[in-house]
Formats: sequence, C-alpha cells, structure tokens
Amino acid sequence: MFDLIDRQDVIRMARLARLELSEAEIDQYQQDLAGFVSSGRKLQQVDVSAVEGTSHAVVVTHELRKDEVAESLPQDLVLSTGPDVSDGFFRVPRIVEEQE
Amino acid sequence: MPLVTNFDTVIGLEIHVALLTESKFLCSCKTSFGAPPNSQCCPVCLGLPGTLPLINEKAVEYGAKAGLALGCEIHYFSRFDRKNYFYPDLPKAYQITQDAFPLCTNGFLEYYVDDQLFRTEITRIHLEEEAGKLIHSGQSIVDSEYSLVDYNRAGIPLIEIVTAPDIHHPKQARLFLEQLRLLMRYIGVSDTKMEEGSLRCDANISLKPKGSSVLGTKVEIKNLNSFRALERALEYEELRQSQVLSGGGVVRQESRTWDERAGKTMSMRSKGDAPDYRIFPEPDLPPLNLDPVWVELIAANVPELPLARLRRLERDYGLSRYDATFLVNYPEFCELFFQVAERGLGYEDVVNFLMGDYARLAREKGHLSAERISELLTLVDEGTISQGQAKEVLSSLFSSGLSPREIVQERGLEVVDDPGRLEPVIREVLAANPDLVRRLQDGETKLYGFFVGQVMRATQGKADPEVVHKLLRGELGK
Amino acid sequence: MRQLAHMLDTRQATSREIVTRYLEQIAQQEPQLNAFITVDEDGALLQAEEADRRRAEGRALSPWDGIPIAVKDNISTAGLKTTCASRFLENYRPLFDATVVDNLRQAGLPIIGKTNLDEFAMGSSTEYSAYGVTRNPHDLSRVSGGSSGGSAAAVAAGEAPWALGTDTGGSIRQPASFCGVVGLKPTYGAVSRYGVVALAPSLDQVGPVATTVEDTAILFSLIAGPDRRDASSSEARPFQVPRWDEQFVTGLKIGVPEEFFGEGLDQEVEQAVRKCLAELESRGAVLVPISLATNEYAIDTYLTLVTAEASSCLARYDGVRYGTRVAAADSNTMFSKSRAAGFGSEVKRRIMLGTYVLSASHYEAYYEQAQKVRTLIKRDVLASFEEVDVVITPTTPTPAFRIGAKRNPLEMYLSDLFTAMANLSGIPAISVPCGKDSKGLPLGIQIMASHFQEELLFKVAYMVERGCL
Repeated sequence: MFDLIDRQDVIRMARLARLELSEAEIDQYQQDLAGFVSSGRKLQQVDVSAVEGTSHAVVVTHELRKDEVAESLPQDLVLSTGPDVSDGFFRVPRIVEEQE
Repeated sequence: MPLVTNFDTVIGLEIHVALLTESKFLCSCKTSFGAPPNSQCCPVCLGLPGTLPLINEKAVEYGAKAGLALGCEIHYFSRFDRKNYFYPDLPKAYQITQDAFPLCTNGFLEYYVDDQLFRTEITRIHLEEEAGKLIHSGQSIVDSEYSLVDYNRAGIPLIEIVTAPDIHHPKQARLFLEQLRLLMRYIGVSDTKMEEGSLRCDANISLKPKGSSVLGTKVEIKNLNSFRALERALEYEELRQSQVLSGGGVVRQESRTWDERAGKTMSMRSKGDAPDYRIFPEPDLPPLNLDPVWVELIAANVPELPLARLRRLERDYGLSRYDATFLVNYPEFCELFFQVAERGLGYEDVVNFLMGDYARLAREKGHLSAERISELLTLVDEGTISQGQAKEVLSSLFSSGLSPREIVQERGLEVVDDPGRLEPVIREVLAANPDLVRRLQDGETKLYGFFVGQVMRATQGKADPEVVHKLLRGELGK
Repeated sequence: MRQLAHMLDTRQATSREIVTRYLEQIAQQEPQLNAFITVDEDGALLQAEEADRRRAEGRALSPWDGIPIAVKDNISTAGLKTTCASRFLENYRPLFDATVVDNLRQAGLPIIGKTNLDEFAMGSSTEYSAYGVTRNPHDLSRVSGGSSGGSAAAVAAGEAPWALGTDTGGSIRQPASFCGVVGLKPTYGAVSRYGVVALAPSLDQVGPVATTVEDTAILFSLIAGPDRRDASSSEARPFQVPRWDEQFVTGLKIGVPEEFFGEGLDQEVEQAVRKCLAELESRGAVLVPISLATNEYAIDTYLTLVTAEASSCLARYDGVRYGTRVAAADSNTMFSKSRAAGFGSEVKRRIMLGTYVLSASHYEAYYEQAQKVRTLIKRDVLASFEEVDVVITPTTPTPAFRIGAKRNPLEMYLSDLFTAMANLSGIPAISVPCGKDSKGLPLGIQIMASHFQEELLFKVAYMVERGCL
C-alpha cells in the first residue's frame, strides 16, 4: 500500500500546503494518503460519463451586488489582530520566490 | 525592424486592467488610489475567517463592455474558480478568478503601426480580483529583510486580457498596448494608469526559425512598469534569445524580470516547474448567468471606438492620417474639434490650430470652451486679426474670462488695413532708410522684407500684411 | 422553551436568574464534560440584564428574549474569542458577528459561551480539539461525537437550553444522536454561512441543537432566511414552527433504504430504529423499501470534496494578519512553521489529502471524479423523494464509542456513513433520540426530506418523539 504514495509526493504536498512536517509526520501522512487513495480507487470505477460535476449543492441565483461604497474598517482595527504591524502596514519577513 | 534576421519573433501579452468601479470586486470597500495603508479594507477583502465574497454588478458590466469593444464573444454562462497559492499580499491564499469558463473569448484589436494596419487576436478576457501591495525594505524583493503589506488594493476588480501569440516585434507590442489602453479609456472602464497599477502587462516571447510553424520555448517577462520598458525588455530578450539559439544553445522556459536600471532581463530565482495552483470551482459563488438583454444594453452603450473614429475623421472630414491620429489619441481635443468644426470653419484650420500652440497651452492650463475657440478662429478667418495677433489673444484666453472679441477690442488689436493710416507710416519708414531704399531699387530684393517688418513694428503688428505689400510696392514704384 | 418563555413573560423568573442557573450548571458539569471553550459569564449576565430591562419596559425582542444559548466556537462572535478549537486561533477575537449570531441577538438571546468542537470542525468525536475532548454526559468514558460535540453535550447536560452547531458531513446529527438530543442540518442555503468559519463551503450548514423537536424548530425559525452577505443563501421561504398533529403520519410514505441496514450497523441501533418505524407504521405511515445504492460512494466522495475545499479554506491561516505566528527569517518558512505549530494532526492530514486531490496530476481522477459522483448521489437521493415523502435511517452505525477507540482516521470517517449523503445532496436531515441501548447510551434516528422540507421533517420528528422514546 505504501507504494501508492511516494514519499516525495508527501514532501511536495507539504510544501504546497506550507506545512513543516517532522520525519515521523511524513511517514504518518504517507500511510494515511495511501489508505485514502486505496479506498478512493472505488470512486474511479464509477461510470460518470453522462454527468457534469456538482459544485453547488443547491444552485441559487441572486441579483448581483450594486456598485455602492460602504464604510471600511478603520485602520487601527484592521491592524489590531496583526502579529507584526509597522506604521500602518502588516510586516512580513523576507519574501523568497520559491519553487513549489 | 527586428535586429535578428534568422528568426521570427513571437510575442503574446497578458494585460491586467483595473476596472473603474466605486467599490471593490467582492466587497463594498472604496477603490480610490492613494489612501493611507490598510484604510480601505473590510473583513471580506481581508479574508477574515468566515467571510464570503459578493460579486459587484458593475465589474461584470465593465468586463462585458471591454469584451464587446474588443469584438469578443460574451459568454452568458461563466464561472468563478479559486487559484490557490501562498503570498503575503493574497489574504485568502487563493485568488478568485475565472479559469475554465471566462466571461469573453475570441476577440481582436486592429491598429496602425507606421501606417500599416495590424490585427492582434484576443484569446480571452476574464474577471478576477487584485492582490494587495507589497513594499520592500530593501532595493528589491530579494535583498529585503522584510516587506510591508497594504491590503487597500486587495479585491480591486480586474480583467485579464490575453492575446494570442500574434505580435511579431517589440514596437508592435508597445503600440498594441497603447491602443488597448486608449480603447479602455474610450469605453470608460478603466483609467489605465500604469504608475498607479491600474494597467499591468506581462509579456511572453519566443523565437522560431524563420518560416517555421513550430513555436520556440517561451519566456515570460515580468515587472514591466512602462510602455518603454515593454519595448526595451522585448528587444533585449529578442537579442538574448537569438544569441543563445545562434550559439547552438537552448532557451530555458522561465520567468524573467526586467531590470530597468541595468537594461536587461534577469532570471527569477528557481522557478523551475510550473506552479501548481490547484484550481477548482469557487463554491462560495454561484455561476454567472447573464441576461442577453442586459448584455445588449451594454453593447448599445459602447461609444465610437478609436479605429472607427480615425476612419470617420479621414473619410468625412478629409483629415490626414497624422492629424486624425492626433485627435483620436486625445479624445478631449477631438471633442473640441467636432464642436468647433460644426460652426462652419475649415477642418484643416481647426485641426492645425488645436495641434499648434493650443495643445501645449491646454495641457498646462486646461481646455478652452468650443465657443471661445470658434470665435478666435473666426476673427482670423474674417481678417479682423492676423495669425500673429491670434497667438497673443490665445495666451490671454487662458488667463482671462473675456471672449476673444472682447480681448481684441480691449487691446485694440484689430488689424489696420486702412491705406489712409498706413501710407504715412510707410512713407516715414522709407524716408528713414534712404540708403536701403536705393539698394532695394538697385536689385537687393531681400531688403523688401526689412521694410515690411519695419511697418509691422511701427504699427505694433496690427498692419494688414496684404495691404502693406500693396502700398509698399506702390511707394517704391514711385 | 415555551416554559422558559412563559416564566419570563409572567415574571416568574428573570433572565438573570435563568442565566445564573445555567452558569451554575456549567460550573458544576464542566470539570467532567469540557463542553465549553469559553464561558462568557460577565457578557451573558449583562445581556440577561438588558433582556430583563426590555421585558420590564414591554419591548421584548421576541418571546425568547433573555433565554441563553451556547454557540459552537467556529461561529464568529464579535469581541468574544472564536478559536475553532485550534491553537492557531487561540486568541482570535472576531471584529464582527456571524449573521446567525446577529439573528440571535436580534431575538434577545444572551450568548452564554462558545462550545467545543473538533479543530476547524474536522472530526467526528471532538477528540481533535486542541482544548481537550468533550465527554459524553451519559458516559464520561465515551465521546460526545463531533464535530459539534460541545454543543450536543452542553444541551444534553443542561448547561444550555439550546445551542448552535455546524454540520458538514454529519457534525450536528451524529453528536446529537450520541448525546440523546435533537439536531437538525438544514437544507443547504437555508441558513446564512456568513461569519461561520468555513470548512467546506459547498457542504457546511449551521443548525440548531436542543432537547425537544419543538425547541429545535423554534431555534431554526430564528436563524433561517436569506442573507445579502451570503451568495449561497437561498431566497426567503416561509417557515412556521409546526404544531403537533396526531393524524399527521397517516398515509405518509416513509422510505427505508436497505443499504443503511447492512453490515456494520450495531444490532441494538437497528432494533431501536426498526421498532420506531413499526410504531410509525402502526400510526398509519406506509413503509416503503427503497434503494440508495450510491450511498456506497458517499464517504469517499465526501472525503475527497471536504478535504479539497478545506485545504483551500484553511490556507488563509498564514500568520500575516491574525493568528499565532512563529517567527522566521523568510515568509515561506514563517507560514510553514506557524501552520505546523498552530494546526493539530487531523487538520494537517486533511489539508494534505485535499492538496493531493486538487494537485494537477490528480485533479481529474480524484476531485473532478468525486464531483461527478456527487451528481449521481444527488440524483439518487432526489429520485427517492419522488416515491416517498421522507427517508428514515439510523443516524450512526453505533452509539457513542469510547474515547481513544478510533485510532485509525479512516475508521473515524466511517461515522459519517449515514449522514454524509444529506450534505452531498443538500437536503435537510434531522436526528431525533429513539431510545437507549442496554448500556444506557442514547440512540438516534435520522429523518431526511427533500430540499426546503424542514416543516415536514419536524412534523415527522414530533411523531418519533412522541412514540419512540
């Protein structure tokens, strides 16, 4: 069952999802993913040639929102939950363009 | 013309245009530029837990209008998707966009490049939301210890316009973009100011062996902040790729950033594989189902577009391509032209006037009304003032509220064409320069101008040149 | 609830007294149960006093003005910590109320506290909460179910007269069944999701939990309705809290799907449910054997879709704008460390799964396929309502299991075996207690109806309540 999911797959998923995993966690999730995949194989056998996918459980049609301005939050409230704010901005450490 | 001759250059553009709506795409925050950071945000555009998006009707209208102006097919059914990626300027860590079912497809834009008509196909136009803005502590993103995030722009409505790889030289790309910008302004959906971020352009460029139908590896160029940068970057990249290929090398598929100061494109750090955006249908928004009648109404409100106007000016007003292009590129001038022209003045005269000193003065100080311009041109036309005097009056019109006639009267600028008044002046001038008179009569005909000039000076430029000529000849003949 | 309302109305009790009584129950029970993450004693008493003032001045906001309520901690309450049972949102105080909370306030209900749940509503036992498990009031060694375990336990233990929960795959109905209370998952779109921390937007719904069917219906009436802020909320539909009607089930066609009575179903659960069905039949209902063959795919379809949507919905927790941040030299590392530290293992597992099914190479085979199978399931379910009026099944395959019993996450997912179908098809479903097993553990019966048929559901639920306990 383990060969259903590559360890590299797990590492790549973790990077895509921005989750730092320990070695033990990588092993655990490799196992979990494999279990899911093996169980999910069943779904792939279902004949869905005649149907479109459902994205919305109950399709609702609304009128679109009118283009009117409403009051925004005051700056201090916006920043009030920020772990690191500076001079009206949220601050983040160095942004590195990274391979996925 | 391209610097490289063994290769065909293939360019495609991806343009983002911010729509001029009052409120944002998915919430009701204001969209104005230049506010203090994080002062135009709400729980929705900040992506706070539990918040939900609501589509702005006007954004859809403007998106459809842009599509119609670009000859696209407007899809009554279109759908929103989530494009997932992590970046500090993206509050939800996904962008709401339209991937599988865009609002518009299959359009085109026709435009002139050096009097040759080009046509660039528009593959698609779709709606999406803008991200926030980042300010880096260092010179560039890579050498900054930290960055600052402002979410005022997060959620601004955008349309993304994607062209086919239909453009074949850098200059054409720049002209295309200029014409696209002009079109957006004509239909009033965007103020397309690159410096404010309401117009952005990324370019894709590849080279292929001349005549081949197999496209080469394309390189994406980002960070183009002006029209000039677009052209220069493409020129640079064209040369770089041709050198690589000529040297037997292979062009790597990658994203490169344009460094304005260095004048070159640089590889962006390890963007090896294409990013996996895990795009899936947006569950929080129902699909867009447009009423064809509503779309028809929008179509009816699309104004005369630049190319059509150009053709009309050439055809119905007999203007040259050059003059017509000026008017098309500057719609305010064109409006004035139409208004003034209908008062029975010569079209050429009006255009020449508008393109002359008027253009410079109007750019500095704002436009004059069609009435005052007409009056001024009429005064010249009927001979009341000379061209030279008209210039003086023109300057005054910008600072005074008086009409041209009033200014002329106030300053006593009317042309003097009464022989009774001019003859004494002429005689005086001739009497004051007997040697020059003799030399003129002996054959130095270029001195003639000197005398005319003297008479003009003596009359503060008010003398009617034609009458002066006639009288002067008469006097000299004696 | 009518009794409480009556007492308030006739001044036999004040809201302050009522709230105080519940607070005392909470103080007494919490050490054993751990149903609450936050108890807002001061706030609730203040709101109670305001309610009393209103009543005294003859301007009660509703008949229920002053009756306290507990709210699941993934529903935003302005100024009051909303943690979603996660370390990541440990100190997060929302800047706004969810629409449903707004509705409660407009009816005058003091909010007594925020109840425990599986972290970010991912789970079926409340064992995945970062703040400890909520124990089942009927047997402290067992789970109260999940993810709305706190709400169900609080109501069952008398810590609150009613509560709000959320249901994505069974998260109201299953804990209601385990704790012996009533829980409704409304039709998708019947109740606003604005302000409810999203797990899976195409499946989530907020719903009422209470000890009686009528109270559940009353609470539903307070929160149901369109919301301009939620594009997925449906237009206004009239809903009246139904009255008990003895004749009601005469001729009512009840679908009994054979697939829900097979292997894996606890014998005592089956007995209780069949006994109840027989009772309804004796009162005039017609039992119709039906087949919901697509239920075989429900769990896998549900898992694929819920993890996919969750992986996207939880990406916003990056530590930039709120939440627990772990400092790092660069942003990507900061994201990865903050999320790793802030999220529990089940949340991480589901994010990993969801990322997998949405990734480019697997999207078609997993996500897209699941969406299409969902269409088949939906069709299957809706087709059954052309034959019958309601469908009745057990709510869960077993009664409450022991804390720590489900080591394998896949096993845990099977708790949703009978409930996920309703979320996938968007139909309303209610769980009503139908007796206890030989160990004294509550058993629950599930009634399902077609879209927006909540009134019908409640009427049938009344019958069950009267006849099957």
